[in-house]
Amino acid sequence: MAALKGLAGQILRVDLTSGSITKEPTPEDVFAGYIGARGVGAYLLLKELKPHTDPLGPDNKLIFLTGPVEGTLAPGANKITVTFRSPLTGTYFFSLCGGHLAPEVKFAGYDGIIIEGRGDHPVYLWIDDDRVTLKDASHLWGKLTHATEDAIRAELKDEAIRVACIGPAGEKLSRFACIQSDYHREFGRGGAGAVMGSKNLKAIAVRGSGSIEVADPAALEALAEKTYSILAGNLKARARRHYGTPEMVDGTNGLGYWGTRNFSSGYFEEANKINAASMKENIFVGHISCYACPIACGKVSYIKEGPYAGTMIEGPEFESAGLLGANCGVADLAALVKAVEICDTYGLDTMSAGAVASLAMECYEKGIITSRDTGGLDLRFGNGAALVALMEKIVRREGIGDLLAEGSKRAAEKLGVPELAMQVKGQEFATYDPRGCKGMGLGYAISPKGAHHMIAPTMGAETAGDGSKRFEYKGKAALVRETQFLLAVVDSLSLCSSMRFALGLKEQIELYRAVSGLALDEAGAMLIGEKITNLERLFNQREGFDRKDDYLPPRMLKEKMPTGPSQGHLVELDPMLDEYYDLMGWDRQGRPTAEKLAALGLAHLWREVS
Amino acid sequence: MNVLVTYPERCVGCRICEQWCSWKHEGRVNPTKARVRVSRVHSKYLNVPVTCMQCAKSPCIAACREGALSKDPATGAVIVDEEKCIGCRRCVRACPYGAVAIDKDKRVVLICDLCGGEPQCVAHCREGAIEYVPLAVADRGQRAAYVETVAAAMEGGSK
Repeated sequence: MAALKGLAGQILRVDLTSGSITKEPTPEDVFAGYIGARGVGAYLLLKELKPHTDPLGPDNKLIFLTGPVEGTLAPGANKITVTFRSPLTGTYFFSLCGGHLAPEVKFAGYDGIIIEGRGDHPVYLWIDDDRVTLKDASHLWGKLTHATEDAIRAELKDEAIRVACIGPAGEKLSRFACIQSDYHREFGRGGAGAVMGSKNLKAIAVRGSGSIEVADPAALEALAEKTYSILAGNLKARARRHYGTPEMVDGTNGLGYWGTRNFSSGYFEEANKINAASMKENIFVGHISCYACPIACGKVSYIKEGPYAGTMIEGPEFESAGLLGANCGVADLAALVKAVEICDTYGLDTMSAGAVASLAMECYEKGIITSRDTGGLDLRFGNGAALVALMEKIVRREGIGDLLAEGSKRAAEKLGVPELAMQVKGQEFATYDPRGCKGMGLGYAISPKGAHHMIAPTMGAETAGDGSKRFEYKGKAALVRETQFLLAVVDSLSLCSSMRFALGLKEQIELYRAVSGLALDEAGAMLIGEKITNLERLFNQREGFDRKDDYLPPRMLKEKMPTGPSQGHLVELDPMLDEYYDLMGWDRQGRPTAEKLAALGLAHLWREVS
Repeated sequence: MNVLVTYPERCVGCRICEQWCSWKHEGRVNPTKARVRVSRVHSKYLNVPVTCMQCAKSPCIAACREGALSKDPATGAVIVDEEKCIGCRRCVRACPYGAVAIDKDKRVVLICDLCGGEPQCVAHCREGAIEYVPLAVADRGQRAAYVETVAAAMEGGSK
């Protein structure tokens, strides 16, 4: 009898080269040690991937993992992670997807799905409880993501089947192609869609009819009820419920750290045209929720008139509004919605897409590229129609779109202006300008997957009160470190990070205890967060990453913020990096020391894999 | 007597109702064993909660040849006698709303029993997409929505 509850008990392993499908018992010790999802993924990727694996070669893996609280009564438990080596950054990477896929995988009887190898023709994986098959997908190749989902559900004759698939962007190996599910939920960043495309895997379809046993049903029930009532009274959660993630636009722009025009500024003077109030007034027509979520932040948008009339999406999310909107200087809501639709249906990360577009726009304005390069597009900042047309080019890899589909780092290097790509390790910035929020800068820099905002999302703590704390350096390394461990735990539990409005670490660990039956406490959980963080670091170290890769683009370090409430600020990164490495017990090159690894019990593992 | 009233236009598709329904009945979360199901119409961005409507003349009861279905006189809910139910699924076909499912393990049908008068789907729906109201006034929500539509049209016309 399994000691650890909350698990389905099996991992599915699919080798696309040989077509073999096997089921392995879930490694309970690994789940006990790393909770689930992100943590277990970091462990497995380090262990299973050979050093220097080609991200788009058959040896890369897509390790889909759920967490222990999913498929139970836990509120907001709906994230599934995929761990892989990123074709965009070359680093360890994990992407999280909400929607309804994760519980379906567990109900089908699996804690995870490991995809390896490469098929000789397009296939899709059909998981129907314990019956698992690879089906021909030649007829689906080239189809958009929504059409693929619809076609698979029609083919399998069940509207309730959950599908994760790639679109043409993934098939064409765009380095920031995503995997799409439930129409508008995605494994967004890092190019998981390209990895899936490189494997000739078009989709994964799942239907599950089982259930998950929990250790303490009464405690879980009480915690669920408590969570609902806290969330109902929480102002932040209510704002998100009413406006979706764009509720963050006003706060971020109001403090002047909302990346604008390729991060030449952090203040967008036309933000009120693409903020939550404007969206609610002009385009929102409905709400839509991920599984088990008491917030339901998904907003359905519809364009009634103009050139994009009839466009309907879920979103735009805050990050899309930032990177396709403010960062491209675009204040045209309809164009923004259309750009998101193109990304979602072709399977492209909206954030990196916005970032490469803003890079192209800056290059255009500076004369580095001309209308001859853009195929006649007038790529000035603020040109919504040109943004939409550029998205079409990127998803199809047409003209300049072919270069931009490689990501902003590669594109900027090709254009001879590497300094204009706002990225770390090849991963484009999220929407926060670190000059106006120093901790976010450190978070971007040390993130194992490049400039990602959810590795150490310190913006809430940094902007609390009068907001001036965001300019301070004191305590930022410690804040980043602590936030990083906390998020490693949240992501491993597979709770949506929005649940943090109501659930602190204490409550989340209570949930975990009720579900798993393990006697983990908060200190123990933070230690697991630290272990996960070190595993991720070790993977990158094996691939040659160290301090030299933990830098922000020169614009953040040398060009003072020109306008807005963060005017005059820079990021002084080196002292923060030193302090952070010291706190982590890493050397000044950002490498975990032998003593640290021994203290965390990782020395043996590191010797084994390095 | 109270009945369930659904408002699909309010439903966001979180399926918390399914969770609590199966949890209360089965002791585990299992959507396929829930007596209420939310179907998402992806292409139209709609979510539709589907549950027993407590029909006055229950087609499911009429369709059952085994006498396995009956009405709880206290709540008006259809009660499944698991001893008598043979799992033939005639009631599944008879239900005009697709509100009857089958338990794949027990091989008996699943029909909403109103949780004995305290429906858990209603208690846990944050969107108000399922209400449990007296039969005599179960039409009022729909009427109010209609009146609002007409009033808005009239207001627009008078300008």
